[in-house]
Amino acid sequence: MIENLPILVVLAMVVFAVTIPFWKKLSFRFTLILGGIVLVSALVANVAIWNHVQANGEILFRFGGHLPFLGIEFKIDAFASMFSLFVATLSLLIYLYSSGDKTEGIEQPEFFRFYVLFFLMLFSMYGILFSNDIFNTYVFIEILSLTSCAIVSIKRKKEAYAAAFRYVMLNEIGSLSFLLGIAFLYMSTGRLNIDLLRDALHTGTIQANVWMAVAFFTAGLGLKAAVFPFHIWLPDAYASAPTTSSAMLSSIVSKMYLVILIKVYAKVFGFDLLKGSALSTLLLVLASLGMILGSVYALAQKDLKRMLGYSSVSQIGYVLLGIAFFSEAGLRSAFFHMISHGLTKAALFLAVGIVIYLKQSRSVKGFEGTGFQMPIAMSVFAVAAFSMIGIPLTSGFIAKWNLGIAAETASQFGFLVLIVVSSFLNAMYFLPILFTAFFKDPADGPQRAKPEKIPAPMLVSIGALAVMILLLGIFPDWLMTMIDVVLAGF
Amino acid sequence: MNDVIVKSVTRAIIPFVQLYGIYTVLFGHVSPGGGFAGGAMIGTSLILYTLVFGSVMAKQKFSHQASELAETGGILIYVGVGLVALLVGLPYLSNLAAGFLPGVPGTLLSAGMIPILMIAIGVKVASTMITLFYKLIAEVKA
Amino acid sequence: MNLLTRILEQINLIGGVALFLIGLHTVVTHSNLIKKIMGLNIMGTGVFLFFVAIGNVEGGVPPILVDGNPLYINPVPSALILTGIVVSVSVTVYSLSLVVRIFQSYGTIDAAELAKKRSEVSEHD
Repeated sequence: MIENLPILVVLAMVVFAVTIPFWKKLSFRFTLILGGIVLVSALVANVAIWNHVQANGEILFRFGGHLPFLGIEFKIDAFASMFSLFVATLSLLIYLYSSGDKTEGIEQPEFFRFYVLFFLMLFSMYGILFSNDIFNTYVFIEILSLTSCAIVSIKRKKEAYAAAFRYVMLNEIGSLSFLLGIAFLYMSTGRLNIDLLRDALHTGTIQANVWMAVAFFTAGLGLKAAVFPFHIWLPDAYASAPTTSSAMLSSIVSKMYLVILIKVYAKVFGFDLLKGSALSTLLLVLASLGMILGSVYALAQKDLKRMLGYSSVSQIGYVLLGIAFFSEAGLRSAFFHMISHGLTKAALFLAVGIVIYLKQSRSVKGFEGTGFQMPIAMSVFAVAAFSMIGIPLTSGFIAKWNLGIAAETASQFGFLVLIVVSSFLNAMYFLPILFTAFFKDPADGPQRAKPEKIPAPMLVSIGALAVMILLLGIFPDWLMTMIDVVLAGF
Repeated sequence: MNDVIVKSVTRAIIPFVQLYGIYTVLFGHVSPGGGFAGGAMIGTSLILYTLVFGSVMAKQKFSHQASELAETGGILIYVGVGLVALLVGLPYLSNLAAGFLPGVPGTLLSAGMIPILMIAIGVKVASTMITLFYKLIAEVKA
Repeated sequence: MNLLTRILEQINLIGGVALFLIGLHTVVTHSNLIKKIMGLNIMGTGVFLFFVAIGNVEGGVPPILVDGNPLYINPVPSALILTGIVVSVSVTVYSLSLVVRIFQSYGTIDAAELAKKRSEVSEHD
């Protein structure tokens, strides 16, 4: 039975997504509750899958019972399972938040479309994680990029259309590069299944085609994950999307492309093939540029959501730095940083969402005195900001610590300096906001004792995120053991 | 578009286009074509009808509810047919092993569940084409 | 002569990559949004051609079971590209509808003018 759980999770998402138009005719509340049940059962299923994978090894699932070179297969190893657990947890929390929020002017009819897109997005992300077939992965990537563009433009606002157009153009260039990469691989091996591809690449001599494929995969996925020089679509898209969409995009979707990048590098080509190549140097340069320049751009922003967008660019640089070492320590830090940044960015966007919800302002100035008016939201924001800077007792500190260890084991001590500089830059843009929030009086008179009127689900959701950030910061060992299990499978 | 020639020609060819579309869907498992190609033909014939006779008349023939139902139904049939294999303890989408009838190879009634899947895909593609077109012209009018 | 025959043998692959590059150039440099979408479609066509050309076998017949044992071409790439075409259609429809909306709200479909209008709006904020 448990072997069938992954496919059932994937199917549950798509079936629920397409039946939402019919559920909504019954009742809106009923639809929301049903969606919650689907997500909770997905989380439970993912916990069960993780336990099973940890105890019995990977689950191999062949569609229609065809042999791997003919059919497509799902392979759920510890790597896929850990990230599907991450997706399930975060999506449940974001869903909880969105059920309380009327999401910044999304109107009733669009609200249903939002959930259709939300569940289709989850469908494609589980598909990406579980699939062991590179063309199948491409199809899921396309579903993911179309739904994420649509979720940006869901609000009937001018800026959203222009941002979504730029997003869809660059995303599509990325997808097509990925497809051309697949074509080059297929040309030299004749295989699409990841295991068979790996075997084929490691037995024959490496042709020039394979390096073309590496280049196209890197460019395509780099564009989609907003690796530094390709980040231009990101701030606009995140800033003009509704809060829940930006949280979803920055915390989960951007991680998915990095997951695919790791999958391609580690499982298709193998680190031993790439280690000596110029790719490592290239990625290291891009990562360090992203880490520094992303933060510098963030300093210049007045709109808070744009600032968070640029901060995402710099954080993706950290993850890429971890990947670029092509070592076990590097991957460990990349995994930890991805999970930590997912939680932190979700908390930041959702806390900012609450401020926007109440104050209708998104400029940094509008934060004056918010620390008194909405203590819970701003405390969560403070915790997440500390985690972003990398202050001890938060998950961000552990993530940066691991990255430092990875740089040290690769004896690249220059990157330690970069990490410290980037952390200082982070502090330079997050601390003034906290200062305005907690030490300045509200602009609109002394409303200190005004009780919060925030819907409970929103508070529960961000509260849970803050607790998880702190838990990861104080007891990182349980996640570290999980990551060690994952690394054992590489 | 109030042209008599266009209207009569459209009236005359739509049945043939649709018949050919249905043929392509039904014989998808024994000849080139299949659900996507056939569904696209049927969808295109509906688009042609809308272009010539206007969206008001087209909606009488094929309403929004109908296309919504067809779109969801297509996916649900596909998922449901695949789930049959899980019930008998085989991998998802197992065909003959899960008890679908093999029929006579090379004839219309063969290949187990593939014809059913083809019909599901055809319904889905046809309704999606027409829905996309309706949405696009609704955008222009708004 | 040798080079020429090699080019002729691989003409489909070369054409695919050339279309990809032409499309990429169009998407990146043209400021008309419709032309950008066209560029994307050209790029897609290039990749599809490349993929289908991989599956081609010189002197092969279409992969339908016939008597005798002829040389069949590889059907897998064509089947894969069908999916790619579906995706490309939906992306085109989505981006065209976005262009319609952009034209309704800004009154232009030129990327440069659009950027100018947007920066004017943000200065007024």
